Amino acid sequence: MSASYAAVGWNKQKKIYDWLIACLCFIYLLLFISVTLIINEQATFETLLIRSTSTLAVLLLHIILAIGPLCRLNKKFLPLLYNRRHLGVTMFTFALVHGSFSLFQFHALSNTNPIISLFTSNTNFGSLAAFPFQVLGLFALIIFFLMAITSHDFWLHNLSPKVWKTLHMFVYLAYILVVMHVMLGVIQYENDPVFVIMIFAGAITLVILHLLAGSKERKLDNMKFALQREGFVYVCPVAEIEDSRAKIFYIDKERIAVYRHNNKLYAIHNVCKHQGGPLGEGKILDGCITCPWHGYQYLPHNGQSPPPFKEKVSTYDVKIIDGKVWLNPAPFAEGTERPGAEIK
Amino acid sequence: MIFVTIILIIVALYLLAGLVFAIPFMIKGVTVIDEGAHGSSWGFRIIIIPGVMVFWPFLLNKWLYASKMKRS
Repeated sequence: MSASYAAVGWNKQKKIYDWLIACLCFIYLLLFISVTLIINEQATFETLLIRSTSTLAVLLLHIILAIGPLCRLNKKFLPLLYNRRHLGVTMFTFALVHGSFSLFQFHALSNTNPIISLFTSNTNFGSLAAFPFQVLGLFALIIFFLMAITSHDFWLHNLSPKVWKTLHMFVYLAYILVVMHVMLGVIQYENDPVFVIMIFAGAITLVILHLLAGSKERKLDNMKFALQREGFVYVCPVAEIEDSRAKIFYIDKERIAVYRHNNKLYAIHNVCKHQGGPLGEGKILDGCITCPWHGYQYLPHNGQSPPPFKEKVSTYDVKIIDGKVWLNPAPFAEGTERPGAEIK
Repeated sequence: MIFVTIILIIVALYLLAGLVFAIPFMIKGVTVIDEGAHGSSWGFRIIIIPGVMVFWPFLLNKWLYASKMKRS
């Protein structure tokens, strides 16, 4: 969250996050290269580089895809989400090193242009056993490239959150391409099934995590609110909302977060203007509702980001009758001040 | 092979045009279309160059539209 753009939006937490990423990647590469050299003393530098960077990129991709559902299942994983885009750019960098060295190793030693050679040296598209799997890797790399170059907030703002999100959802297509790239490559070049087993286990884990998270969200969305009075809907007892925290309610196809702050309740639209993060899963920090994804902040009484920032979300009327919270799902214009409901 | 070669040449020309477009866009255009770029560092402007090379027709359109709106 900044008034004017910086090259990299670092703060103390993000620097710690990035140091951790760098250390884990370094340890992984060191371990992979050491173990490979113990098992196969004849392994060349090119082979070590190509394999270590590819397996690291695949591992990072699995972690990246697991972070979203893990955070929806348990808030303790939210710190992982805070700087996921740097993890994504790191993954792309290793995938690029793998792709570049593979292109050099397998296609740069003839008179043909390496990229043309990649597409024309193997055209067995009808054969599973001899399928040109490298092409699949290239297409996945192109998707990761588009995601990496648009990872800055400038692109989110200028492409619009909807287009940006749609573009970044292509990561699932890229993941399928990567799985096929690895599976078909292993079939053609490996006798050891360990890579197939690992990627299969990774894919199953991701599918299960996404199904569990989706099921949890569906339960929230299917919650029924039978009691209605003068446009207000009874949502929960006051005691269910913790101080400086919120509860999220799905009414009339909108998610609304009801926050408790300074002995008052305030209701705002649950969707953060930055990347659509769930504001109701955040908490009040320095008097502001703070998005759990990237720390964007909004004032509880008017849904406006504190100056000089300009983001605004819709606000709603909320009232308390006999210890029960009643919420009016009709939104006020973004940034409209509401008095909130005093807890007596 | 000819088909792949033609596609690659088209992609290369498109990206080259994007690189040429990136020069005036970095100097002026970026601040016209996005007020968040006012006072931004050169590091920011350099880091968005690959994206500008890919999305330059979209950014050009946005720049022309923003200039037209300012004039009117």
